[in-house]
Amino acid sequence: MSRARWVTALALVVALGGASISARALERLAPAAERAGQLLYLPNGKHLRIVSLGHSSLLADLIYLWAIQFYSEYNTTDRFRYVRHIFGDVIAELDPHYIDAYWLGAMILTIEARDLEGGLALLDLGIERNPGNWILPYLAAWECNMASNAECATRYFEQAAAVPGAPLVARRMHASMLARTGALDDALRLWVGVLEDPDSDDVSRAIARRKVREVRAEIERSALRDVIGAFRISNERLPRDLAELVRRGYIRQVPSDPSGQPYAYDATTGRITSAAGRVLGEP
Amino acid sequence: MSQVGAVLTLSGLTKVYRGHLGIGRSVALDGLDLSVAPGQVFGLLGQNGAGKTTTLKLILDLLRPDRGEVRLFGRPPSDPAARARIGYLPENPYFYDYLTAEEFLDFYGRLQGLPRAVRRERVRESLSRVGLADRASTPLRKFSKGMVQRLGLAQAIQHDPDLVILDEPMSGLDPIGRREVRDLILGLRAAGRTVFFSSHILQDAEMICDRVAILDRGRLRACGRLADLVSSSVRWFEVSIRGAVPEGRFERVSSTGDEHLLRVPDIDGLARTLDATHRAGGQVLSVWPRRETLEDLFLREVGHAAATRSDG
Amino acid sequence: MRAPRASGVVTAIALNTFREAVRDRVLYLLLVFALLVILVARFLALVTVGSEEKIVKDFGLSAISLFGVAIAVFVGVSLVFKEIERRTVYTLLAQPVRRWQFVVAKFFGLLAVLAVNVVLMYATVAIALWLEGASSIELLPAVWLILVELAIITSFALLFSSLTNPILAAVWTSAVYVAGHLAWSLRLLAERVPPGVARWACEAGYWILPNLDRLDRKATVVHGLDVPAAFLLWSTLYGACYTTLVLALACVAFERREFR
Repeated sequence: MSRARWVTALALVVALGGASISARALERLAPAAERAGQLLYLPNGKHLRIVSLGHSSLLADLIYLWAIQFYSEYNTTDRFRYVRHIFGDVIAELDPHYIDAYWLGAMILTIEARDLEGGLALLDLGIERNPGNWILPYLAAWECNMASNAECATRYFEQAAAVPGAPLVARRMHASMLARTGALDDALRLWVGVLEDPDSDDVSRAIARRKVREVRAEIERSALRDVIGAFRISNERLPRDLAELVRRGYIRQVPSDPSGQPYAYDATTGRITSAAGRVLGEP
Repeated sequence: MSQVGAVLTLSGLTKVYRGHLGIGRSVALDGLDLSVAPGQVFGLLGQNGAGKTTTLKLILDLLRPDRGEVRLFGRPPSDPAARARIGYLPENPYFYDYLTAEEFLDFYGRLQGLPRAVRRERVRESLSRVGLADRASTPLRKFSKGMVQRLGLAQAIQHDPDLVILDEPMSGLDPIGRREVRDLILGLRAAGRTVFFSSHILQDAEMICDRVAILDRGRLRACGRLADLVSSSVRWFEVSIRGAVPEGRFERVSSTGDEHLLRVPDIDGLARTLDATHRAGGQVLSVWPRRETLEDLFLREVGHAAATRSDG
Repeated sequence: MRAPRASGVVTAIALNTFREAVRDRVLYLLLVFALLVILVARFLALVTVGSEEKIVKDFGLSAISLFGVAIAVFVGVSLVFKEIERRTVYTLLAQPVRRWQFVVAKFFGLLAVLAVNVVLMYATVAIALWLEGASSIELLPAVWLILVELAIITSFALLFSSLTNPILAAVWTSAVYVAGHLAWSLRLLAERVPPGVARWACEAGYWILPNLDRLDRKATVVHGLDVPAAFLLWSTLYGACYTTLVLALACVAFERREFR
């Protein structure tokens, strides 16, 4: 009886040892991390949705969590190849309203992979599926802005502002972008709108007031510059002062800037400056 | 209480079933002591729920005792060497119905340690002994209840065990079947084997047991030789008469029309009652001397226990 | 009279188990299903553009795996339960046999049934592929590993059916199956979690759970890639040792079991 016990105990110890050794050997041959990498070859979200048996949103969360972990691993090579696929085709398909996923994927693409186009494409996907969401176009606009692409920033701010319920800041940014791209009349119109909108808050109104002045000033200066340019072409020289323009009939009177002071004119460079202009950022 | 050479010994055997979360605790067996000597037929008797099946399961290591111990041929039932010398038939047996009778017995023969040549021989032998020789190749699913019972008996004896343990072997059988089982048990005793069986049918036990033990709600009420427990003297006479009921020292058990059943306590009273009936003009239909049966003993013991319980 | 030898007892009960399972209708149902699936794959291959071979291989291997697991779980769990419920186990345990012999025998009986099923299903796949003019030899390593996985699952089925009723036992066994296939994620989680109890728990969980996912080489063989011999050997050793340990637990559970 006792001998049988010993044999059994020995056999179990051997089994335990065997299991441990083989488990370790297998871990070396086929590490668990490998499995994680294979998640890159995830099937399309449409198919996963079927498999998830009604838990597609949860599945989207789990994949999202995995993706965060995966993409924080900086020494994985070639890790950006499937960002669009993971976030766009998989997570977004499983849960089209998962705003964070679009945003994070786009951020990874634009900031880490320096692929603005890819990031914007992902955000477009999100915008398309979530027309009532203003954040995505707003974020897209900021991405453009950071990449110094004023035109696309303008477009996206406009989109964001158009979403019902979008905060005023979207309209303000739109207006600013318009001004930056040179569409001053449109910008002015927008700023006036913000100023006159009864729903605007005090801060926005204060900003709008200032901006209206600045844009007006900029419009006037722009017009003045055109006039000076026309003078130069006709007279092959810059006018000596603004009064000369009045005398010669190019303009009716010397305009004042929005703060009530006359514009300063530099005869050597032909540049117009004003107090308002300094606020706008001109030297 | 352990006898040397005893085939089976139970000492202070106790089994308590714990209910769920401590509720529903029931004592199945409470300090059971008994001993079975070789060559006996021993009957464990009691009502349903008295603890008979629990006792048998404890003997076979299907249950483990909370207190006390079981010894089979001096060894604990967990020792296979002890169980090699016993044969067992459970109550209402059910066997693998996809096997034929022969395959079934052969399978058990292997488990019983019978080598192949011996096995084949024994299988054939025991099949004919229980009257199933012509059904050797029939699948068990086609067997009637009586046939299954007989096959079970075959399985229990084919390896020629020293002790045969049977749980309610006669239940559900017709009178012929019961007689066959009784004959088989007696045959085993004649061959020097020991039989230990449980039953709630007292008449069967009365006919074949050497010793009996009466179990009631987990407690042993009586144990000993049948002859010692149940006296063979006449207890009373039952007299059946027609006509008017005469005077006399007797008890009227029942009446139907002008027929009456009387119970007379002794032989003197009998003579006087018969005489009185004649003088009253009645007719004596029958006289039956009644001896004490096991049932009387049982009712007395169990009834007594019930009475004390209700008093206490 | 002596008690019979352990090998004799185990063989007898194992053979009996095999016989019983083979005559069990549930088994046939599952087998027929599996064969149907494989045949369906053959027809599906007709409507695909290219990769007919791959479809048949994928369907075939997955059918073998899934139906194998289904049989291991449902037949395995009912094996012990039926014996207890119908009380055939009473007469059996009254014989001079030890309880562990019963458990081990049930295991080998069921494993034999599974092996036969796997062979039958593989043969069907091989035929289906042969009709395509494709070979099926390279699938064998994956099939072998499926069998190893089935052995592990079966041992768990026996363990749980010795502990509880068949429904719960089936649930638990299925849970182990799923957990075994997701065990790798515990390893990754362990790396992300701060060191301490949580990390230790994740690591422990990873090593204790059977790593079933690693036994899956279906995708590898379907693409014609090689499964190294070293991997096969270590995997077999792992399966054998792991199964032994779980069976030992099952034996202990069954030894302590009382039959009311």
